[in-house]
Amino acid sequence: MNDRGGRLLNRYFLYLVLLNMFVNVIIFVPKILIEYRYEGAVMGVVIAVPIGMALTYLYSTAMNQFPEQGLPEIVEQGKHRKLTILFFGTIQFMWFTAGLITLIGFIDILSRFVNPEMPKLGLLGIYLAGIFLIIQLPTQRIMYFLEIVLLINIPLISLIIFKAFINEYLSWDSILEVGTHIFTRPSLKAVAAATYCFSGYMNLIIFNRLIRGKLKIWNFTAILFLGLFNLFTTFLIPIGFHGSDGAQEYLYPWISTSDSLRLVYSPIERAIFLFLMFYMSITLVSVSVHWHVAYELIKGMFKGKISKKKNGLILGYFTVLAVLGVIYFNSLLLNRLTVYWMIFRLGVEIVIVAGFVLWARRRTT
Amino acid sequence: MRLTSKWKLSFNIFLTFMLLSGCGFKDIDKRFFVVSIGVDLAKNSSKKYLVSLKFAVPKTTRESPAEYQIVSEEANSISEAVRIIKTKVDKEIDFSHTKVILLGEELVKRRGNAGVNYWFVRRRDVQSIAWIAVGKPSALAVLKVKPTSEYFPSNALFLALGKDGSETPYVISEFMYDFKFRAIERGIDPVLPIIKAKKDFLEINTVGLFNKSKMLLELQPEETKMLNFFLNREEKSSLWGKKGQTNMIVNTEKVKSKYKIYTPKGKRPYIQFDVSVDGVLEETTKRIANKQLSKYEKVIGKQFSKEALRVLRKIQKAGLDPVGFGLRYRSRHFNDNDWKEWQRIYPTIDFKVHTKVQISDTGLIE
Repeated sequence: MNDRGGRLLNRYFLYLVLLNMFVNVIIFVPKILIEYRYEGAVMGVVIAVPIGMALTYLYSTAMNQFPEQGLPEIVEQGKHRKLTILFFGTIQFMWFTAGLITLIGFIDILSRFVNPEMPKLGLLGIYLAGIFLIIQLPTQRIMYFLEIVLLINIPLISLIIFKAFINEYLSWDSILEVGTHIFTRPSLKAVAAATYCFSGYMNLIIFNRLIRGKLKIWNFTAILFLGLFNLFTTFLIPIGFHGSDGAQEYLYPWISTSDSLRLVYSPIERAIFLFLMFYMSITLVSVSVHWHVAYELIKGMFKGKISKKKNGLILGYFTVLAVLGVIYFNSLLLNRLTVYWMIFRLGVEIVIVAGFVLWARRRTT
Repeated sequence: MRLTSKWKLSFNIFLTFMLLSGCGFKDIDKRFFVVSIGVDLAKNSSKKYLVSLKFAVPKTTRESPAEYQIVSEEANSISEAVRIIKTKVDKEIDFSHTKVILLGEELVKRRGNAGVNYWFVRRRDVQSIAWIAVGKPSALAVLKVKPTSEYFPSNALFLALGKDGSETPYVISEFMYDFKFRAIERGIDPVLPIIKAKKDFLEINTVGLFNKSKMLLELQPEETKMLNFFLNREEKSSLWGKKGQTNMIVNTEKVKSKYKIYTPKGKRPYIQFDVSVDGVLEETTKRIANKQLSKYEKVIGKQFSKEALRVLRKIQKAGLDPVGFGLRYRSRHFNDNDWKEWQRIYPTIDFKVHTKVQISDTGLIE
């Protein structure tokens, strides 16, 4: 940690973005993109890349002017205390819902494929216990946790993606067929869903506490290429397996795609279980990161350290909404809501980035 | 302090709840594993389908022969049949090891079986990588065959359809997900292997070609081999050629086929197939000098092209497209009505096949 600014890549920043790229499979991004494959998803993806990159660049460079500070620390000395409280109170909801959708979606997947006889609330209980342990930790330790999870899982997911690409049943003609619809007018829903892959940078709002030194151009180049590859894989591999006409029938295109992979000589023949194991940890850490941001933002609404009672209240608020969410949202409803949530999220993101960049510029000059 | 003890208390209560959910799992000895499913048309009954499940009966030692139990039920839908079968067995039916799905010959010749096909895909516990095939004369007959070489029930089927066992160009095996892909995608049609039940072995050397809803055409073994080359699935095979009095057999090691669709303006559109074969001379009726080898290569190439053309035209005449020419056409054209165009083009399209054979080895003798 003593080589301040001397590194080519800031890996913590990369991890945050990478995490969102992985978890988009759970949060219905492939489903939304595939649904609009003939109605502008291809152009939507093409447009989403510059939008996502621009937002990433603007926000993280602006954040970079306040090294080792999260937003609560940056505005701590500000005059408009009430405005800050209102602001934090509103935007924490974005992070909370992001985590919530991921959590409900994945609990649905778990109860479908792994443990159909266990009640969903039981699964939720196990997850919440883990998540609540993690989100109260200091930010630095969550980052360590994230690093370990990614380190363990990246070989696993690389294997699955590699197997998918070399599979002889992967129909490149179907992929190209969807590609020929590139000149269709882009659909907003597809753009919003595709930009989600890039929006891991928003976690900097708290995780900037760990970013030392300047972010280099290499960070952004890496994100650009990872993002392109990620969008291609997310969107088009299920189409290659299930067809340009047939892929939209699947509720979880990527789960079904991983079920279509056969690892002949591995201990488990069905790749789906490897895939689910991978996503068990990715979901846990992703929800933890999002909720940690929400938790810290809420904590930022109060001055100084918060009391145990307040802490309990925050966790209680998380629990109640999570339980209600699991009870009331089945996967179909969740899918429909997520489409609108994505659009809303994109709007909020643009407003936050624009506002923050302007504010930071006035503040520093 | 009071707060922490409360926390501890509630955490303990939570832990006890976790113990209570112990009945979420059923133990393995209370499950009955289905290894293959057969669906036929019901005979002499008002019901629509005859669904048969082949259960593996677990054995403690490997020496004892593979035992199985087949339970059949007539019903109007698969899920109904499975519900009734549940009342006939003592254990929970588990589909997670189902690796072969057989559809009866009669069934696939009738249109409108989408409900049957979809049931398997919709079920979360049936693998997408299960093989699907046509059973002849019926799916149940195929399930009942018990090859003597079998270690555990249906293993012979698994090995024959998968590439881990025998590798032959006469089997074009098909996975569940790929069947569904082909059944929906415009421009490519399903192909299923036909498994014939013999007395104590199974014979798989033909395939059935489907349109989107039923089986229309059954290919002969040699035609199946050709189709296999078009699909680039299996390369180890043999070709024969005849020049004058000399017959020869080439064992192929590499067969690669590529095709391109040409639509010249004002002329008849055609599909150009380029096949390259790389093989070893295996058997001849006369001695062939190495100098003359290139002549024989040409002869085999011509023979291959002729046969390929015949198969392609036969498939075209039936209005089927198992290779996916239509999909290729769609993927290369940016306009929205490319599928309609293709439907107009395909019945009249011409085929041109060019085969390049290379004999790289004549075995141990010249």
